[in-house]
Amino acid sequence: MSDTSTIIHDPIAPLLESARLIVCCGPGGVGKTTTAAALGLRGVLMGRKVIVLTIDPARRLANSLGLSELSNTPQQIDLHENLERVPDSLGDGEFWAMMLDQKKTLDDLVRKYAPDPGALERAEQNNIYRLLSSTLHGMQEYMALDKLHDLYTGGYFDLVVLDTPPTKNALEFLETPSRAKTFFDERIIKWFIPSRRSGFFGRVLDPGSIVLKLLGRIFGETFVTELTEFFETLEFLQQALQSRGEMIDYIMRDEQTHFFVITSADPRRMKEALYFHEKLAELGQRAEAFVINRVIPPFDPDDLSEINSDAIAELAKKAEGLADKSVARAEFDTLREELEGTYKMLARLAVRDRDAIADLSKSVGAEALRRVPLLGQDVHSIEQLVSLSEFLTPSRPVYG
Amino acid sequence: MQPQRNHLSSPLNERDEFMTDMLHDLLGKRLIFITGKGGVGKSTATAGLGLALAKQGKRVLIVETDTYSAMADLFSLKLSESRIEKVKQYDNLEVVNLHAEDALVHAIKQFVPSDRVARSVIGNRVARVFFKAAPSVNEFSILNMVRDYLDKSRGTRPYYDHVIVDLPASGHAVTFLNVPGTLHGMVRVGKFAQMCLELANQIKDSAHTAIVAVCLPEEMPVNETIELSEAIEEHIERALTMIMLNMVHARPFGASHDEIFGALREATPTKKPEELAEASALSRVIQGNALALDWHERDLIYIDQLEQRTSSPIIEIPMFYEKEGLRVIERVADFLRGEPGGGDTELAS
Repeated sequence: MSDTSTIIHDPIAPLLESARLIVCCGPGGVGKTTTAAALGLRGVLMGRKVIVLTIDPARRLANSLGLSELSNTPQQIDLHENLERVPDSLGDGEFWAMMLDQKKTLDDLVRKYAPDPGALERAEQNNIYRLLSSTLHGMQEYMALDKLHDLYTGGYFDLVVLDTPPTKNALEFLETPSRAKTFFDERIIKWFIPSRRSGFFGRVLDPGSIVLKLLGRIFGETFVTELTEFFETLEFLQQALQSRGEMIDYIMRDEQTHFFVITSADPRRMKEALYFHEKLAELGQRAEAFVINRVIPPFDPDDLSEINSDAIAELAKKAEGLADKSVARAEFDTLREELEGTYKMLARLAVRDRDAIADLSKSVGAEALRRVPLLGQDVHSIEQLVSLSEFLTPSRPVYG
Repeated sequence: MQPQRNHLSSPLNERDEFMTDMLHDLLGKRLIFITGKGGVGKSTATAGLGLALAKQGKRVLIVETDTYSAMADLFSLKLSESRIEKVKQYDNLEVVNLHAEDALVHAIKQFVPSDRVARSVIGNRVARVFFKAAPSVNEFSILNMVRDYLDKSRGTRPYYDHVIVDLPASGHAVTFLNVPGTLHGMVRVGKFAQMCLELANQIKDSAHTAIVAVCLPEEMPVNETIELSEAIEEHIERALTMIMLNMVHARPFGASHDEIFGALREATPTKKPEELAEASALSRVIQGNALALDWHERDLIYIDQLEQRTSSPIIEIPMFYEKEGLRVIERVADFLRGEPGGGDTELAS
């Protein structure tokens, strides 16, 4: 085993101080949203105005923040109300959170960019719009990026912490700027919108019409008509989304943008974390910290050879409640066997985790890793988020 | 038949073989969708279920739709895109990682006269961009392909007894399963509309199609499973077939020892994780068991919530402390089949 555990690496604290955007990606079920919230909160306790944005359709951030619902508008979490003792380092720091409501975001977008006030109403009558905005997924990534853009460029927040959905969608998310641009690509839209200038002949000669015919054959004429209408109605969005796509590409590449991979010590999740690491590299990005959640404490299989029933009996008698009672020796023997059975399983997990962490360390470097021990309870209060954040930035204790 | 409930409330070695026939509810379902929040062990449950059915003599195909294939990893397979592979270690079990684009080519072939035309459609820049970027095309193509797997036959019998589809994480599952219905609502006539209608009906048919939610006894997965169960009832107008509750912690020791253990705990100050390496062997053993007891008690709370707020049968799969993913799958499969199976694999020294 390596001895890296004795050196405290703290890759996160300096980044939290200076970053404008932190993108948290990683496999699902590893406490990603909770970690994103704890990171955000730690930034707040450095005196910064931070917003945590989650785009996951399930209401996770709400759960981990103990809020019943998050709306499409930023919500502030009052630390004075939620913490028994507010650290001095809070200063002007503010803690905000927001969950994306994709239907509302697309409406907002149309309202914002529409050339006339009736545009939203017209759009809402289009079947494709209705599908896009509320039912069919794939659109929420576009919308998330729009919100991210607003929060980032709005100027109010010092730091945006972005929580992404697990595996496949997170990767789609990172590829969204170019996808959004493609979908609303001017040349593509032209195929669907009848050219007013060239009239009938223009359309027949238009290579797009062959495609339209074919699409009509597959999906039915109604669908293609709706689609054409959709593009006509939302032509104005194309310009907006395209420039935003470019802007977001730019934001993602800014040197104050950092990518963190959040994972757990489970070997399968570790493999997924590595997959993210590679995928980020393909996109020209680099994960600057790996947060490994739920690391099993150093339970050691060798401990089992050191314990015996006598020691257990002796220790039990130290407790007040049991001091005067006589307990049969056989009781201690059976309890010892049970305790050993459980401990053996835990030690097995601990060894497995340690090996998996060592493997990841080999690929990404020990200094990028940050371990968070397995905590006995779920994190659902701000107080618990503070405790969690202590493990994320060990070189700067929250309470000095 | 309702599977017998068990809270894993006795230590593992004392437990009866209580699971009589958990697969019973699924044997009549040829199409099985598996859904669940990321990280709940959905792939493990999918593989375990597939293996359990295969061990019952059924021919099973597991379909993944993710760019990252968990099955390739779990079964040590080299999966090339959209190609069905047999799992070497087991008869009757096959796996495919279906890529949306291949499914799309397959779907288009059903509308155009020849392969050549289908390929030229995909080759057309405009069409390609449209298909790639337009929402719902992927979902439709994948479901359409799944239907083809179901229709495959050997003689007069279907080739696969079960097709198990590992769906994307739960937030998207309802949207995914709802695609044919929504598309049909939009395109009322024609061959495409007909295909959508058939798919939608198949998904709604709870007698022949199962929707299984995989969950963990933790706050967020439990809340999401409750939301999922409600969303399926609301949007797909049917119920979840069952909930597979993964990694349930058994009680570390018998309840008759609670008092002594309480005394041990009282006499051993709780160490912070970073201090634990310096503590005595006995205090580590006690702290480990205290942790396991906390897990078990917390599990019971969440199981109770799940039981109160959903009406689907719940199957509790115990935590298996194995190093190798394949061993976990085998033990899940044996458990589902009601076979006690072997115990923990010995730790390599």
